Amino acid sequence: MNEEIAFWILAAIAVLGALVAVRKRNLIHGVFALLVFFAGLSGLFLLLLAEFIAAVQVLVYIGAVGVLLLFAIMLTERVAGDDGQRMTSRRWFWGLVMAVAVFVVLLLPAIQQLPSPEAAQTIKPSVEALGKKLMDPYVVTLEVLALLLTAALIGAVTAAQGVRMPKEKDSPE
Amino acid sequence: MSLVLIDILIATVPLMLIFASLFAFTTWLERKALARIQNRIGPNKVGIPCTRISLFGLGQPAADGIKMLFKEDIVPRGADRLFHLLAPILALIPAMLVLCFLPLEFPWTKSLLPVQAFLLDGAVIFFFAITGLNTLAVFMAGWASRNKYSLLGGMRAVAQMVSYEIPLVLSAVIVVMMVGSLNAAVIADAQTGFNWFVFSPWGFAAFVIFFIASLAETNRSPFDLPEAESEIIAGYFTEYSGFKFALFFLGEYIAMFAISGLAVTLFLGGGDGPGLANAPWLSVVWFIAKIFALIAMMIWLRGTLPRLRVDQLMGFAWKFMLPLSILNILVAGFAWHAQQQDSKTITVITWVISLAILYGTASGLNQLNRGSARPRKYKYAE
Repeated sequence: MNEEIAFWILAAIAVLGALVAVRKRNLIHGVFALLVFFAGLSGLFLLLLAEFIAAVQVLVYIGAVGVLLLFAIMLTERVAGDDGQRMTSRRWFWGLVMAVAVFVVLLLPAIQQLPSPEAAQTIKPSVEALGKKLMDPYVVTLEVLALLLTAALIGAVTAAQGVRMPKEKDSPE
Repeated sequence: MSLVLIDILIATVPLMLIFASLFAFTTWLERKALARIQNRIGPNKVGIPCTRISLFGLGQPAADGIKMLFKEDIVPRGADRLFHLLAPILALIPAMLVLCFLPLEFPWTKSLLPVQAFLLDGAVIFFFAITGLNTLAVFMAGWASRNKYSLLGGMRAVAQMVSYEIPLVLSAVIVVMMVGSLNAAVIADAQTGFNWFVFSPWGFAAFVIFFIASLAETNRSPFDLPEAESEIIAGYFTEYSGFKFALFFLGEYIAMFAISGLAVTLFLGGGDGPGLANAPWLSVVWFIAKIFALIAMMIWLRGTLPRLRVDQLMGFAWKFMLPLSILNILVAGFAWHAQQQDSKTITVITWVISLAILYGTASGLNQLNRGSARPRKYKYAE
């Protein structure tokens, strides 16, 4: 019963956050509304006893992605966050169809399992099991991902430094 | 239902009261210590009201608090009113929340369910995740004020906190590797009997990195660029007055306690100390005493070190702390395997080799970075 109340509160927070994130014209407000949505999602993970995923949700989505989005906005000229413009499309019908289609595809795995299976009451040390899985059967995947991320990091540094023109050296400051 | 509520109150209210009063005491201690370092006297007038007893000015925090409460709350006309209100609250809540993850063993809370619930398997990850929210509060404050100094302070804070979070987490990884658990209580238990992680080369290096990074995370001097008063007034809280300012202040100090508490848990043995066999309640005392030792060090550093420049700050995080902490993880990995052998000679050899490697790397990085420490070239100003 208590879990159900908590679920509805968290779900309401998440849905409201997502709605505000889409509807707000102010970019910064939108980002913070998106973060509220992420926080609600993290609460839902906690409710499912997936504490590790909840923590990572906060760490990655709120801590990293949120800050990244804010940084990106601050680097543009819309620092005030409000540009007064509004994108409207007259082809909203196809947009709606597309949105519904994506929604249904995302829901397919859940629909296939109807009626929904009983939730596990307790999950013993979830972090430990996850760590062992990552280090034993999926270690190659993990290493490949790490390599990919490192390559991306180096690429980002290279891109940020820009192409060094030989002319630049000679030109007086 | 109501019983659980009472349990929650029993678990949380002492935590809040203890740390809030420690905050009051620390502000006094900091002002007094800084004053002594700068050859001043510091607060010495306020004591018990209506008497002439001043008690070294210990009443100053109470007077400050009352003053803050009655001060006018000024919101700039151009400010984003909602975010201006939310930012100080968002700065305080994560700092208060993470206190729950510290393995403080109060005698009266041991068997309470809400306390047990926070002894999670992923407590350390949760700690880092939630302290990361502080960055957002600082940014929110800087942005909502619509003041260029506030915005500059907010941007500096975000860049700094994001950079220093990496060495902070990487140095905590060493302890997690050694213990094999992310549970704060398990980590503290693994160090009982003075097996503190700080008493090993890799642990000591990790502790130093962690401490420096935690100074930067809490915007303490010499990393107090986000609120550098000689450059950008007060940084992100320039436009805050009255109790909102007090909330920022409180949040900053509680964050200091929390991150020092994590350092104590990870490296300084948690509540471990002499006399625990006879009086288990001493563990809380030891824990808080260790936190205070770290806080005293922070105050001491604030009184003695000048503020870093922005480029020095970034260079230090990325060119010194990050390589050193990554290498330290490798060293700790080898050390763990050496410890599994369980022989004295191998342990000694590991200690010597890892000390040499860590010292060599630190001084080598220092030499490498020395070449790049030229006077700064200013692009937009002369």
